[in-house]
Formats: sequence, structure tokens, C-alpha cells
Amino acid sequence: MKRAATPRPSGAAFNKGKRQSAKPPTPSEPSARRGARSQQTRFRSRLRAWGRHHRAMALDSLYRLVRHPVGSLLTMLAIAIALVLPAALWLTLDSAKLLDAELDESATLTIYLELSIDAPQAARIEEAVVADEDVAQTRLISPEQGMAEFQQSLGLDDTLMGLEDNPLPTSIVIYPQSVEPTAMEQLALRLETFSGVDEVRVDLAWVERLRHLADLGRRVALALGVLFGFGVLLVVGNTIRLAVESRRREIEVVMLIGATHAFVRRPFLYSGAWYGVGGGLLALGLLGLGNHWLSMPVAALAASYGANFVLPQLDMTGSTILLSCSTLLGWLGAWLAVTRHLSSISPR
Amino acid sequence: MIAFEHVGKRYGGRFEALAHLNFRVARGEMVFLTGHSGAGKSSLLRLIMRLEKPSRGRVVVAGHDIAQLHASQVPFYRRQIGVVFQDHQLLFDRSVFRNVSLPLEIQGLEPREAARRVRAALDKVGLLHREKALPVELSGGEQQRVGIARAVVNKPALLLADEPTGNLDPQLSADIMALFEDFNRIGTTVMIASHDLALIARLRHRVLRLRDGRLVADEGAV
Repeated sequence: MKRAATPRPSGAAFNKGKRQSAKPPTPSEPSARRGARSQQTRFRSRLRAWGRHHRAMALDSLYRLVRHPVGSLLTMLAIAIALVLPAALWLTLDSAKLLDAELDESATLTIYLELSIDAPQAARIEEAVVADEDVAQTRLISPEQGMAEFQQSLGLDDTLMGLEDNPLPTSIVIYPQSVEPTAMEQLALRLETFSGVDEVRVDLAWVERLRHLADLGRRVALALGVLFGFGVLLVVGNTIRLAVESRRREIEVVMLIGATHAFVRRPFLYSGAWYGVGGGLLALGLLGLGNHWLSMPVAALAASYGANFVLPQLDMTGSTILLSCSTLLGWLGAWLAVTRHLSSISPR
Repeated sequence: MIAFEHVGKRYGGRFEALAHLNFRVARGEMVFLTGHSGAGKSSLLRLIMRLEKPSRGRVVVAGHDIAQLHASQVPFYRRQIGVVFQDHQLLFDRSVFRNVSLPLEIQGLEPREAARRVRAALDKVGLLHREKALPVELSGGEQQRVGIARAVVNKPALLLADEPTGNLDPQLSADIMALFEDFNRIGTTVMIASHDLALIARLRHRVLRLRDGRLVADEGAV
């Protein structure tokens, strides 16, 4: 027997006694081309076989899940619960993002002009302010407009109606180029030197506070997301570990007759992914349910403040992200569990 | 086909299961492996199947020193060996047909071609009419024949059997051995571990006799 240099056993080398003698290779040009073509078809048929096994295992693992509905549902519910909390927080943050836009808008300066300034003078001052390179935009509010806005926002019509004179000065709202606190303060100092300016108001403190709060929320959501993601991995991992244990004999047998690790792993990976899909769908359902459950009191509460606030809901993109995350986590949990346990299973 | 060169196998550092094994089995040969239980028959087969590596020496199968196979190549190596186990290692949650088609499923053979080959293998062992049965519905001899069908379904060049007649009565044992002879006749190299000395003597093939892990006799060599 001849010893080959490479340790890889190819079918041809193994069967050289029978097959190659029956079909001796001729080193001519057409046969080489035929060889290339047959290699291509072999690759294609292997690809088809791979796809076939994937399809079969996806269905088989789904069938196994359906056959034990209570156990599967419990696992999925555990995943769903682990996903709902970070998802809900994410939703809250998402609505805080709306707030964020308002935050930027509210990072403005307001100039109150002296009471003696009339409309043309106010317009000239506004022109001078716009000329400053740090100012992006301005809005002039006449005393009448100011009064109207004031009434509207406070709902205090009657009290103000009682006033004979309009006590409000003309004001100019300034949207600065940069909402940096230091830049805004410098701008405020400069604006204060303009003639006719009574007072410049910068209310940065609460803007900053909200900013920090939003940042805090983001970090908490991220930490929770990571923690609960680990939770999902553990739940799926444990379920798959039990599944591997219960099919240990089958795994030993197929490994004895030449199954690769990938082949053995495949059905379990699909189980994990299915658990993830189920858990994700349940989580979406729970979020919807929670939204429905809370929307009434929230709407009532908002209405009592005269506001129109609607609870945020997961849109298409959000739902897709949640579902793909849970599927991926299920798959990953299964992968970790199977890989860890395959090494402990060796055929007898 | 198979060459053992100064092969030794120790378990746990002290116990010497096999020692100084030197022999060759040519392509197309049929060889019996005998000896008391514990003489090392199963260990030897496990070395050929690459379930274990030798502690010393080389095991060469079809020209390859199989200890050198990378772990990822081992499954592909095993696909080329048919193995019949004493406890036949059938899966009890699936039909006879699906048990036999398992090696083809693993290889990713196209289902129609696979079904054709499974039926051919079942026909060869005389169990075509039981393809839909579950293994538990079969007798011991029938289960063993299903195991044989599974071992030969992908036409391996090498067929190994570990006590294939261990639990069977003499008539069934003879039938099983006749099956192995049939496969050998079409060119398959067959190696059977058995302690059924009477049966082996009747069959007149080469016999490797092991005692305490050593080769003590090589009778009837070609």
C-alpha cells in the first residue's frame, strides 16, 4: 500500500482499487474541462444538500417545539419577559428623543428690550443681533404677541383681561449657532452690551439637567439590555443543554457514522432560533398589551394637563430589530450550549 | 488496506490494552479477530475507526496514517468505513428505513437516490418488507441486519463488525456471516471481531488471535 503525503482521505484515494481502475483518467484537454465541470456540479449538489438539510432541520426542530407546547411556551415566555423590560425602556428613550429635539429648540436666549423701545427701534435691534455670527435665527415678539402667547399657555384670560396696559416688553428669541453652554454664555454677555437691551435670559441649568437625565436613561437601558440579553442566552442555553442531553444517544450514533459537528449542531441551532422568534413575538405582544393597559390612564393624565401625549409604540423598524435581536440571541445561546456539550460527547 | 505498525495502546498510563501489534490486511480480504473478552478486539477496532489514537506506533488505513487526521477530517474518514456494532446502535425513535438512510442523510445525498440505495441495502439483508417498522418491533436478528444494512448503504470499501453475532443463535449467526461473505465477494474488505470460534473455524478465512493485547496467532493468511 502506498503512503500518500497528505493526510486528507479523499474518496478517490480510498477507493482507488475499484473505481479508478474502472474509469482510468486520461490527461487530455477535454477531460480536464470535464473535470472542472464535474467539480462544479459536485459543489452545486453539495450546496443543494446543505440547503436541504437546513430546511429539514428547521422543520424538524419546529416540529419538536410544537410537540411539547407547554415547555416551549414557558421558555419563550421567559425570553419574552427578559426582553420586555429593556424594550420598554428603549421606547421611553425613543420618546425622550422627541424631547431631545425640543431640548435643542429650547436652548435659546431671550432678550427683553426696554419698555420705551418702539417697533421700528426693535426691528433695528433685531437686525443688529442677526448680524452676530453666533446667532442662527431670531424671532421678534411684540408685546401684543407676547401677551397672546402668555394667555394661551397659562389659560389665565380673565386675570390678564383686567390689566389696562400691556406690561410686557418687546422680546427677541435667539436661536444660537451653537448650544454649547460656554458659547451661549459668551453670546449672552455680548448681547447685553447692545443699547436698548434690558435683560438677556439664558436658562441653561434645566437644559443641562435634562440632558444628563437622558444620558443616564440611555446608559441604564444599555446596561439592562446587556444584562437581560445574557438572561436570554442563559434561558436558551439551559433549554438546549437539556435537549442535547436527551438526544445524547442519537448524537453518539450519528458521530460514529461520520456526522460533522456542524451537522449535529444544526437542529439545536434552529431550536434556539425558534425559541428566539417565539420569545420575540411574545415580547411584542406583551408590549402591545402593556401599551393598551396603560394608554387610558396616561391619556387621562395628559389631558388633565391640557397636553396631548400618546404612549410610544414600537414601529415596524423597532419590531424588526427586537425580533432579530431575540432570534440572534436564541441562536447564539444554542450555539454556546451545543458547542460546550459536544466536546463532552464522544462516541463509544 | 489496513496496516498496524508497532501499535500500542495504553489507558490511564498503566493498563496496556494493546502492545506491539504488527499486521497488514490487504484490500478485499476477509479477516476474523478473535480472543477472550478483554483481549483487545474492541480496542483494535476503535483504533481503526479513529475513535482513539494509538499510544505508540502507526495505524495506516488506505494509505493514511489516521492519527494525523485533523479532527475536522475525522467525520469524512468515518463515512468511508461501515461499522456493525454488537448492540447495533440503532435509533429507536425512527423507522428502519430512516435508520438505514442515516449515513446518506449525513452525506447529503439527494433523497431519491438515497431511497433507492436504502431499499437496495434492505433488500440485500432481506428486510425490504419491514422498512416502515420501528426497530423495537423487530427481533434481535432483524435488528442486527438493519445495522448491517446501515453499515453497507454507502458502499464502504472497509466493513468492520464488533461481535455482530454476539446475542444470536447459531442459525442466525451463520446467516449474518454469510451476508458478510457476500459483501466480501464484491470487493469489500471485511474485519469481524468475534469469539464464536466454532463458527469462525467453519468459515475458513484468515484469523488474527489476540491475547492480552498481543497478536498471538495469524492463521490462514493468504
